[in-house]
Amino acid sequence: MNFSKCSISLMGLGLAYAAFSAESGVKEIFTPVQLRHWSLQKVAKRAVPSIQMQEWVATPVDAFILSKLEARGLTPSKSGDRVTLLRRVSLDLTGLPPTPEEVDVFVSDQSPKAWEKLIDRLLASPHYGERWGRHWLDVARFAESQGFKADETRPDAWRYRDYVIDSFNTDKPYDRFIREQIAGDELWPNVAEARIATAFNRHYPDEYNARNLMQRRQEILNEVTNVVGSAFLGLTVECAQCHNHKFDPISHKDYYSLQAFFANTAADDRIVIAPPQQVQEHERKLALWEGKTREIREEISAILAPARKKIWDDFFDKYPPEVQEAITKPDSERTPYEAQLYHQAKLYLDPSKDDVVKSLRGPDKQRYQTFAKKLQEFASLHPGDLPHGSGMRDISAQAPVTHVLAGGTYLGRQEPVQPAFPSVLSAELPKIQPAANGSTTGRRTALANWLASPENPLTARVMVNRVWSHHFGQGLVASPNDFGVMGKRPSHPELLDWLTTEFVQNQWSVKKLHKLILMSNVYQQASTHREAAAKEDSTNRLLWRFPRNRLEAEAIRDSAIHVAGVLNSKVGGPSVFPVLPENMPSPRGGWSKNPTAEENYRRSVYIFVRRNTPYPLLKALDFPDTNMSCGRRDQTITSPQALTLLNDRAAIDWAQNFAGRVLGKAGLDPKLQVETAYLLAYSRKPDGWETDTVLTFLEKQRGIIQSRIAKGESIALPTNVPEKGEPARLAALVDFCHSLLNSNEFVYQE
Amino acid sequence: MSKLTAPHFVRAASRRDFLANAGTGFGALALGSLLAGDGVAAAVKGRNAMAAKPPHYAAKAKSVIWLFMEGGPSHIDLFDPKPELKRLSGQPLPPSFGKVITAMGTSNNTLMPSQRTFKQYGRSGQWVSDWYPHIAQHMDDIAVLRSCQADGLNHVGSVCQMNTGSILAGRPSLGSWVQYGLGAANENLPAFVVLTDDKEVIGGPNNWSNGFLPATYQGTLFRNEGPPILDVLPPKTIGNDQQRGKLDLMASLNEHFGRDKQTDLDLESRIQSYELAYRMQSAAPEAVDLSKESDATKKLYGMDEEITEKFGRNCLLARRLVERGVRFIELYCSSGSGWDAHVDMEENHSKNCKISDKPIAGLLADLKARGLLNDTLVIWGGEFGRTPFNEKGKGRDHNPWGFTTWFAGGGVKPGQTVGSTDELGLRAVERPAHVHDIHATILHLMGLNHIDLTYLHNGRFERPTIVAGTVVKELLA
Repeated sequence: MNFSKCSISLMGLGLAYAAFSAESGVKEIFTPVQLRHWSLQKVAKRAVPSIQMQEWVATPVDAFILSKLEARGLTPSKSGDRVTLLRRVSLDLTGLPPTPEEVDVFVSDQSPKAWEKLIDRLLASPHYGERWGRHWLDVARFAESQGFKADETRPDAWRYRDYVIDSFNTDKPYDRFIREQIAGDELWPNVAEARIATAFNRHYPDEYNARNLMQRRQEILNEVTNVVGSAFLGLTVECAQCHNHKFDPISHKDYYSLQAFFANTAADDRIVIAPPQQVQEHERKLALWEGKTREIREEISAILAPARKKIWDDFFDKYPPEVQEAITKPDSERTPYEAQLYHQAKLYLDPSKDDVVKSLRGPDKQRYQTFAKKLQEFASLHPGDLPHGSGMRDISAQAPVTHVLAGGTYLGRQEPVQPAFPSVLSAELPKIQPAANGSTTGRRTALANWLASPENPLTARVMVNRVWSHHFGQGLVASPNDFGVMGKRPSHPELLDWLTTEFVQNQWSVKKLHKLILMSNVYQQASTHREAAAKEDSTNRLLWRFPRNRLEAEAIRDSAIHVAGVLNSKVGGPSVFPVLPENMPSPRGGWSKNPTAEENYRRSVYIFVRRNTPYPLLKALDFPDTNMSCGRRDQTITSPQALTLLNDRAAIDWAQNFAGRVLGKAGLDPKLQVETAYLLAYSRKPDGWETDTVLTFLEKQRGIIQSRIAKGESIALPTNVPEKGEPARLAALVDFCHSLLNSNEFVYQE
Repeated sequence: MSKLTAPHFVRAASRRDFLANAGTGFGALALGSLLAGDGVAAAVKGRNAMAAKPPHYAAKAKSVIWLFMEGGPSHIDLFDPKPELKRLSGQPLPPSFGKVITAMGTSNNTLMPSQRTFKQYGRSGQWVSDWYPHIAQHMDDIAVLRSCQADGLNHVGSVCQMNTGSILAGRPSLGSWVQYGLGAANENLPAFVVLTDDKEVIGGPNNWSNGFLPATYQGTLFRNEGPPILDVLPPKTIGNDQQRGKLDLMASLNEHFGRDKQTDLDLESRIQSYELAYRMQSAAPEAVDLSKESDATKKLYGMDEEITEKFGRNCLLARRLVERGVRFIELYCSSGSGWDAHVDMEENHSKNCKISDKPIAGLLADLKARGLLNDTLVIWGGEFGRTPFNEKGKGRDHNPWGFTTWFAGGGVKPGQTVGSTDELGLRAVERPAHVHDIHATILHLMGLNHIDLTYLHNGRFERPTIVAGTVVKELLA
């Protein structure tokens, strides 16, 4: 049984309770206030407002912001200084602070195009996709394991991560990005990348130990429907899982009509990623190998047969009768619904050879090993495995019937529904064309085209708001995954519409959207507090200054490693397992031990995402729960965060590398060391007070460490120890470097 | 709230604080939740999210100790005797019971009576089997709820639901809700602590997750060896004075950086978070240091015997944590589904009952002797019970339709049995109590109304009991 997750009351919003009937149309069910909700109306062409302070306007974005400020008698802030702006935009676009050399180049570039050149350079960096791809991975609840009990690895999930990074780096039009993720398999069946994109709907948490596959299928369908609603439409459609939505004009029937687009989907974990010639060549070689090894393989099959049957029986016996029936029926007699159950069960009933081998015991195991050895003699003839990835597909052109479900459970079947768009958004029926070869229903193509249409009032608006939200730390709509009645109202609705229109006109180019925003004076304002402005607008909703924000987990970690001079800037590939905190056992599902330095210093977006146990250092710093789509991360301040950045062996290691780098550049002159460290960490020189304070600290700390050495205690030295260095003094430098990486100036973006 | 942090965490003269301070109890909380939540994380910023908050109404229990028998203890072999099972032994489940889908497909197997001997104990005369002789001595302090119900068929969903209310991962656990509602009584220690005695809990950290609540409210798993919290101590290469020196430098640099940013309370909060971390560095190891506990106390918890040593140690730790103001302590017994007796009830439960009996009895006795039981709620139970029909001849399958949880201490009316299952122990019949009802009751005893404790997430005012839950009034003193 699945309890609904709806809210408890209307909280005085003055909306009428929706009738609990799936029969009536949305116009009868919902009030005019709900139907007229702002985000459901077409995007309007907005004129750039006229304002007083013309000289401040660099782009139309400024005019929209200024117009609201002026209406409240406020003025914008002056521009931030060049170093601040360089740090801001570098951290924003790449998640890394600038190097001292990059600071020099930008500060000394007097051309009026310097800022624009900088933006272009950063947008062209491969680190841009790593930074902005990660934002999308939050929305896609991306993880590389199943969750639930065993949390098994999904070995090819990382390919979707690379697909996302690559899509941002190549500035893939957002409408294409949507089509690929929803229906890449139907639209471009021969393009591996488009099929990998469908993994968007493959990231649901899954439980291999489920017995009631009817229930499990329904839970997965609900999950997929809900994430699609949040990610692309910014709607909390899940509220209509059990009854009509209590706030937004989405009926119970709408929910299942939307779900019907996915009714025949199933995991597709063998997407071959190779050009046709390579596939042919592979097949040819494989046939050769198969010919030479037929007898051995038959022996092996015979040895494995009882173990295989045992696994089959074990699963089969525990399934309820409906599932057992679906399994035993011949292919041709299964209904589409039974085919769905069978497809799901088959993954477990009929595991890979490796899994069967693992279950072998005693003499069978020995006999198997004998033949496996013989087979090994032909290994040189075997062409190996073709690279493959994982995604979603339909299992045939014939989808099972979708019903409105009372209470959201598979047992509550009510009227059948056809695939349809939420009726408040479109009265048009989807044009669905099943594939001629019978491979797929064609349903998702219709959905993808509707989602990616310029006419859809939500899709582009929601994406524009996501981009704005990451630039400023807060969206024009402060609830990026909820554009509904319970979501936040836009602070600047006209600006949102204007940007949306531009975005669509610019072929949905995300990079052009960035530039439109970054070239504005709004973005280039100083973050300095102004008492008078704060009195009028204490939360800075009107953007009279640039908001200060704490960096996300990944940006903090990556910046520290970058400043330490050891960042491994390799892009893409299978995920890495950096060192876990001391004494932490490997989580269920596994974590590779003894990572190489190379793995320890990869960017955080490449860290393996184990759903039940995210990497602790990131988790402490508000890495989201991957059991659900996340539109905006929390920014908490907690003592466990401090403990992590203070005491974790990874953090100490960064400090040791950082100190080693400082020594390499500055030698043993303490003053020069302090200056070098400041330039690396903060992109600026220390002031007199800071130099004095740090020099005093280094002396005092040296004394403390000296007495520890005298007691025979071990110390943490820089990675690069010069010959003449005094250990206590060098260890003090590590402590200073560590302090910088922990400081507010380092973890806040100004 | 500690004296040191108090002045720094109050956001001056903002609308939010005006509103939050305008009322107490529910008003303050509901506003807090209106302002917090998805997309409006600003409300979490700049405030001490762990500062102690007033309950909705006077709390009966200041702390909870949840003794979680992970894997599913058999109610019909422990607290819910079923003589009818003996009569029908070897026969199939009567057709009148209808269709049952179980985890292992065992519903057509024959009924299997308990091999245990049940007796009535104490003035209250409550039934306990001979598997729990020590706990049986405390029945006058215990209220047994025989009619519990849950929704999951397998462990991961059911353990998750017992913790979060939902069989699907992603919702905040009850301990997180309690922290969100009440804050911490002692900020030098985590307010929600999880202890395990064997393998990893099924589903892992999802069970003490903050879900959609801010990360501040997640539970902390204490390690059994070495320092109790990961990264709570610096590595051996950093001495204590040295650490203090670093923190002082950071504080100076941060204050210097913040000298023209004094209105940004996040910056100040972050400085304070390092001071708290430093205090936790000594407070956490002290809390788990049993060297000052007497041998008699250790013996009371069974720490002198190998089989009861581990769980006994955790029970003693739980008492120490309660003494130090920790709000919510969850102790998994035979963690990693140790109670999951599919194959052999006798072998499995003989062992697990032995592991848990003396330590739990010791805990109850110790809490009582120290006057702590009055405001500490002790809960015993699993994620579900077990079936009356056999599995593989000697085992029992999962039973979420009717099972037992018991309660003692803080605000509970002791010495009574509430609710019942049918004559075979398959389903709850009288006063059924769903997991949501159990959660509502626990929150009630802690002074929180489960309907008023809300958090705005994705357009919904989420609450711990989702859309259900009623307080089991019969359990209240």
